[in-house]
Amino acid sequence: MGRTLVTITQLLTETEANLSAFRRTLRRSDQYIFDGLFAAARRHIAAIGQAESLLPFETALLAMLLEQSKEIAVLQQELDELKKKNLG
Amino acid sequence: MAEAIGWLLDVYAEDDGINLWLLTDDDKRLHLRMEFDITFYAAGDFNLLRQVWKYLKEKDVKLERTVRRDLFLGERDVMAVTTSNPAGLQKMFGELQRQFPSLDYYDADIPITLRFIARTNTYLLGRCHVRFDDEWIQSIEPLSSPWEIDPTPIPLRILTLAPDCNPAIRKPKQLHVKYGQREYSLFLDSPRPFLIGLKADLQRLDPDLILTDYGDTWLFPQLGAWSEETGIELNPNRDENRQIMTRKADSYFAYGQVTYRGAQSHLFGRWHIDRKNAMSFGEYGLEGAMEQARVTGIGVQEMARKSPGAGITAMQMLTALCNAVMVPVQKQQVEGTKTLSELIRADHGGLIYQPLIGLHGNVAQIDFSSMYPAIMVKHNISPETVGLENAPEGLIPKTLRPLLEKRLMLKNILSDLDPRDCRVEILKARAAALKWLLVVCFGYLGYKNARFGKIESHEAVTATSRELMLQAKEVAEDMGFTVIHMYVDCLFVQQEGFHKPSEFTPLMNAIEEKTGIPIALEGVFKWVAFLASKRDARVPVPNQYFGAFQDGTLKYRGIELRRRDTTLWVRKIQLKALEVLAGANTPHEFADRIPDVMALVECAKRDLRIGRVPLGELVIRQRLSRTIEAYKTPSPAARAALQLQAHGRQFAPGQSLEFLFARNATGVHAWELDETLDSGRLDTKRYCKLLDRAVQTVLDPGKPLLVPQRLL
Repeated sequence: MGRTLVTITQLLTETEANLSAFRRTLRRSDQYIFDGLFAAARRHIAAIGQAESLLPFETALLAMLLEQSKEIAVLQQELDELKKKNLG
Repeated sequence: MAEAIGWLLDVYAEDDGINLWLLTDDDKRLHLRMEFDITFYAAGDFNLLRQVWKYLKEKDVKLERTVRRDLFLGERDVMAVTTSNPAGLQKMFGELQRQFPSLDYYDADIPITLRFIARTNTYLLGRCHVRFDDEWIQSIEPLSSPWEIDPTPIPLRILTLAPDCNPAIRKPKQLHVKYGQREYSLFLDSPRPFLIGLKADLQRLDPDLILTDYGDTWLFPQLGAWSEETGIELNPNRDENRQIMTRKADSYFAYGQVTYRGAQSHLFGRWHIDRKNAMSFGEYGLEGAMEQARVTGIGVQEMARKSPGAGITAMQMLTALCNAVMVPVQKQQVEGTKTLSELIRADHGGLIYQPLIGLHGNVAQIDFSSMYPAIMVKHNISPETVGLENAPEGLIPKTLRPLLEKRLMLKNILSDLDPRDCRVEILKARAAALKWLLVVCFGYLGYKNARFGKIESHEAVTATSRELMLQAKEVAEDMGFTVIHMYVDCLFVQQEGFHKPSEFTPLMNAIEEKTGIPIALEGVFKWVAFLASKRDARVPVPNQYFGAFQDGTLKYRGIELRRRDTTLWVRKIQLKALEVLAGANTPHEFADRIPDVMALVECAKRDLRIGRVPLGELVIRQRLSRTIEAYKTPSPAARAALQLQAHGRQFAPGQSLEFLFARNATGVHAWELDETLDSGRLDTKRYCKLLDRAVQTVLDPGKPLLVPQRLL
């Protein structure tokens, strides 16, 4: 509806398009992981928008990092539980 | 002096005042007249104004120098031009504006009904008491208010006229006539007896409302042509001195799509509404159109055909008139200058969260009631108050407050009524009609052509809404809830062990206390699925979900079932699949029912292959977004249009096309073609693919729960 600035969704799509040559050169197995990074950023579009940053992609990188840390935390927890079970 | 009490049916301009039609308590239709002076204003360079003075001195108008208030500029020296010829105003003003285009003009294009209401406080469809001498009104006194919750119903005489088929496709043979309990048909094969019959009916029944199908685009233009052909005069107006007022057809771009609006035929002294050419008629019907006319001051015929935006603009004009604020002819407010960081901060819409993908059990949906209008009223957001502290109540909040209160009251009454109560339908239609006025009001704050719009006030509303949503999220998380999703004005929350509606009441009270905006529980879902993007299953989409409430009712948004371009067959099967799943009480039970759904789908496909599905259920409906020649690669709709063009049909952008997918050179078969498609030529593969997609949408969220069982 007549907005002046591009939305975060548009911005991520554009950035992804700009990186298409980079993505193409990656091995297929790596491409899937690469797409996952953008998928991770897309889970936080609202938060990236709210950050009101001049360079929103910086915040998008942070969102990717956040998802990664979350995954590590979940795996760590599962590992701890498994260890406990084995010890018990 | 005579007097009468009744409902105000119609008001329109005349050379020497205005015409009014009153439906009296003793069931008469009174035609009354009223002297009515109209004033508009010009402001600007004094030398120019002096020239205007000289120019207008020759005309039959009263001129005066005075001071009036502009909403943004404050008191202004203006020239007041008063005429006693309301019908001639448009022409006179048009010429004046062409001569002196650089002046600012005010109050020059206000609908006559609004001026009438502002002066007499008597609303359209409202009750009033008039005293008159020889049809000239001496005094008029309102007996009702448009904000009454339960207005006395108007005993309208309604005549319904509908041809036996769509005249754009086939030539109709009969016209079905309905009046009260009686129904009959008039044959169309010979115009003379038809016209005589219809004329006699109109005179005998004297309807207040002629409700038609294709009246705008076919019946009234056709009546004119037949009249000329046979020499039988037929004037469907109640005011015999008037002719039908026609407006041309057009295609326009609004709300992200091209829309086609057919020609219009308006009547005087009675109303004509074409059900097939009335914009929101399907949504809230005659009751809703009348409710909008009552509160906006725009006639029912107009309101039924216009968007709610025209209604809200009229309401703002009326508030301005009643508060001695001038209404500019052209918008003057442009966006203020901003730094880049200010722009980045301001240029946002509502808060749209990314949901947690998948199937969730026991989720409550809570909605802020009329959030944006409530923010405008509570925070006094109006184009002239934005950025000011302690400003007096602005024009927009003043306009919205009664509307908002009335809708909330109607909703409260509705929630207390038994769903089988006969008043429910009417109240629902009226509440929906008011809802649309409230919905568009926000958009109009930022709309480039709105008289009282200013983008900063629009941004102030969304900024406040985002802040309130975040406050609501924080309150919910503080109370131990998981926020599954947030979407502009609603939240989906969940907490282990919570499933009764009453268990969510403390949360809602806390949010209401924190934000000051009323919030209501839409319901508790037994299960609800938030969908992933079709492109990447790891990316959530914010506006596609479906779920079953505890009473088994389904709610679905953004899936195939909601899309108008999905065929009836696919929609039917998808709904059946959802109904099977609605029996599940938990996400695990959902997964258990997946095989039942698969069986249902196989059965549907078999029916399709052996030709048991009626072709009508397979029709695809798509809109043309441009002229046919403008397509580089014609869409299926454009290819269907090409087939019909060969048979002499013409199409404008925004018109819809119906077709079947077929195994032939173009891949489509236009539904309106005279020859029906041989069922053997149907592209069943394509239809099965469409169905598979729709079923996949519904089943995908349950599949992760199936995996552990298979592993075991």
